Amino acid sequence: MNNWSVPPLIALFLFPGGLFLFLWGLFYEWVDRKLVARLQNRVGPRWYQPLADLVKLLAKEEIVPEGSDPTLFYLLPVLALACAMTSALYLPMAGFMPAYSFRGDLIVALYLLSMLTIGLGVAGANTPNRFSLIGATRTLTQLFSYEAPFLLALLGPAIVAGSWRISEINFYTQQQPLWIMVTQPIGFLVALVGLMGKLELPPFDAPEAETEIVAGALTEYSGRGYALFRLGKNVELVIALTLVATFYLGGLANPLQFLVKTLGLLVFLAVLQTLFARLRIDQTVGLWWRIGALLAIAQLLILFVINLV
Amino acid sequence: MTSERKFIVPIGPQHPALKEPGHFEFTVDGEIVTDASVRLGYVHRGIEKGAEERSYIQDLYLFERICGICSHVHATAFALGVERLAGVEAPLRAQAIRSLVAEMERIHSHMLWLGVAAHEGGFDTLFMYSWRDREIVMDLLEAFTGNRVNYSVNLLGGVKCDVNESLRDQILRGMDQLEKRIQHYLNVVTTDRTFLARTEGVGRMTREQADLFGAVGPTARASGVPRDVRVDAPYAYYSTVPVRLITDERGDLLARFVVRINELFEAIRVIREILDHLPEGELTARMPRRIPAGETISRVEAPRGELFYFVKSNGGEKPERVKVRTPSLCNWGSVMQVAVGHKLADMPMILAGIDPCFSCNDRMVQLKRKDSQQWMSWEDLRQYGIEYYKKVL
Repeated sequence: MNNWSVPPLIALFLFPGGLFLFLWGLFYEWVDRKLVARLQNRVGPRWYQPLADLVKLLAKEEIVPEGSDPTLFYLLPVLALACAMTSALYLPMAGFMPAYSFRGDLIVALYLLSMLTIGLGVAGANTPNRFSLIGATRTLTQLFSYEAPFLLALLGPAIVAGSWRISEINFYTQQQPLWIMVTQPIGFLVALVGLMGKLELPPFDAPEAETEIVAGALTEYSGRGYALFRLGKNVELVIALTLVATFYLGGLANPLQFLVKTLGLLVFLAVLQTLFARLRIDQTVGLWWRIGALLAIAQLLILFVINLV
Repeated sequence: MTSERKFIVPIGPQHPALKEPGHFEFTVDGEIVTDASVRLGYVHRGIEKGAEERSYIQDLYLFERICGICSHVHATAFALGVERLAGVEAPLRAQAIRSLVAEMERIHSHMLWLGVAAHEGGFDTLFMYSWRDREIVMDLLEAFTGNRVNYSVNLLGGVKCDVNESLRDQILRGMDQLEKRIQHYLNVVTTDRTFLARTEGVGRMTREQADLFGAVGPTARASGVPRDVRVDAPYAYYSTVPVRLITDERGDLLARFVVRINELFEAIRVIREILDHLPEGELTARMPRRIPAGETISRVEAPRGELFYFVKSNGGEKPERVKVRTPSLCNWGSVMQVAVGHKLADMPMILAGIDPCFSCNDRMVQLKRKDSQQWMSWEDLRQYGIEYYKKVL
């Protein structure tokens, strides 16, 4: 119940923005990769592998492909990473008070997160490579399919908490005797699967299906740009996990809760990743609009009815 | 197509989906494939020409290296052909061991394919597990022959590896283990919802199409074509231990999975039966150094389908001409037809569905166009290659 706050400069550069997000993102990428590897009967990477990849990529030459706009090409990775990191400021990272908070910051945080995906899509469309173009189309198609159900799923807790402010929702969920995961199971399910779609994890990895379109939207990226996009995705992983844990797993009151709850979610995601074959993009869209969106709306309707009674 | 400009997605010669070089061009309209073409020949190695420069014994090793996965059947086909020319028949025990290794090779090849096909569909867990269990049969093959891939079991007139009691027990134990695992994979492939969504009804080839395109092997059998050289024209030990023909009427990717997995069970059954009734006797028969003049064909059932060898001898120590036709080449035509109308995302799985093997089908082909025929001699071909690369560079 005791949430501490942090001074602004530290909030921007060290915690919860900046360094903390980088390191935590790399750490979670390693946990994810290692778990998936172990579940698939592989050995998996060592703990410093994501960091080593990052350093290696940063040291490599960045090649701007002919026919693409160089400004956009350089700018997009930075923008994507910056947006993902900015959204961390409104979240109770590591169980601390959000660095900044205002009414409706939930919507801002969510859209900042989506900027990363849009950045990916634009980056893919910016290069003349055919794999990138298809990857970009798929990325944006997927964005439009999961975004609405995911948003609706996060609105459920916001409605019962009576606030669109993440910090207030965090307080509210902490005070509940039952986790919202139990009281709104459908919403939790949709949020969880939406998380996987957002992070383009298997089985929703059609936008970067290597056996079809090499690396999808990022096919032409190398070196620094690729490193930043990857880092952006890692940051997004941490933020999205925090978001779902705040809303559905009884809030985050202290660093220990943060660690346990987000790691627990990550383990669950890793298991889900190993269970399925990749969905085609049309199957992904169908799944989201036919089932995901309907479930989320049903959840909202149930909430309204209960509120009225 | 509404727009005039075609959007062509090139796959290969270097692409993550391909483990060997081949070039495919898919014309797409959105995600739908409207046209497909294939270009092969990146790994042409001139093996047939090379065979004419070497003695029959050396050729046996050369042909084994046409394909790394089905090396044994190539050597078997060549040995059978040469033996027929020489009028020599390998002893029964040698024939039994040829069939035994061929079936073990089929297990390793089909399990390899299972993993690759699952990977193309983004189901890496199945890929990793099936390859882990493939190690069982790889280890057995190594214990048996000393090698994991190019076993070099065959000699002209017999085989050089024998099965003793302890090896027999080892193989039988391995088969028991494998049978359980394969049953599990059959369950996964036929019940996993996400996987079924990628295979059921995808890449369907009707029986008429399969006949028309001359599909062979499991690809044809999955479309209901009862075609298996082991059944139609038994060679080696298959007349004594008959093989049950496995077909499926559905013709889609799922059917190809089911047919191949059921063939694994059949291979295990055949291996057990051969080991139970292993005839006693010599391993080799005497072969003459010079093979009498004449020509013959020999057909064997490779894991991918019918493998065809033509051997012509002029009475010397070296063959006059050897022609190899591998099953992958027969199946390409069907893929390119079936691909049209599917989603781009299905392409890797449809390509993998015929279990393609690139390096084994890259050999000289006579180009037959509508109006002209073009033959190239070895010298012409060499000159053509030099000129071609001068232009490119």
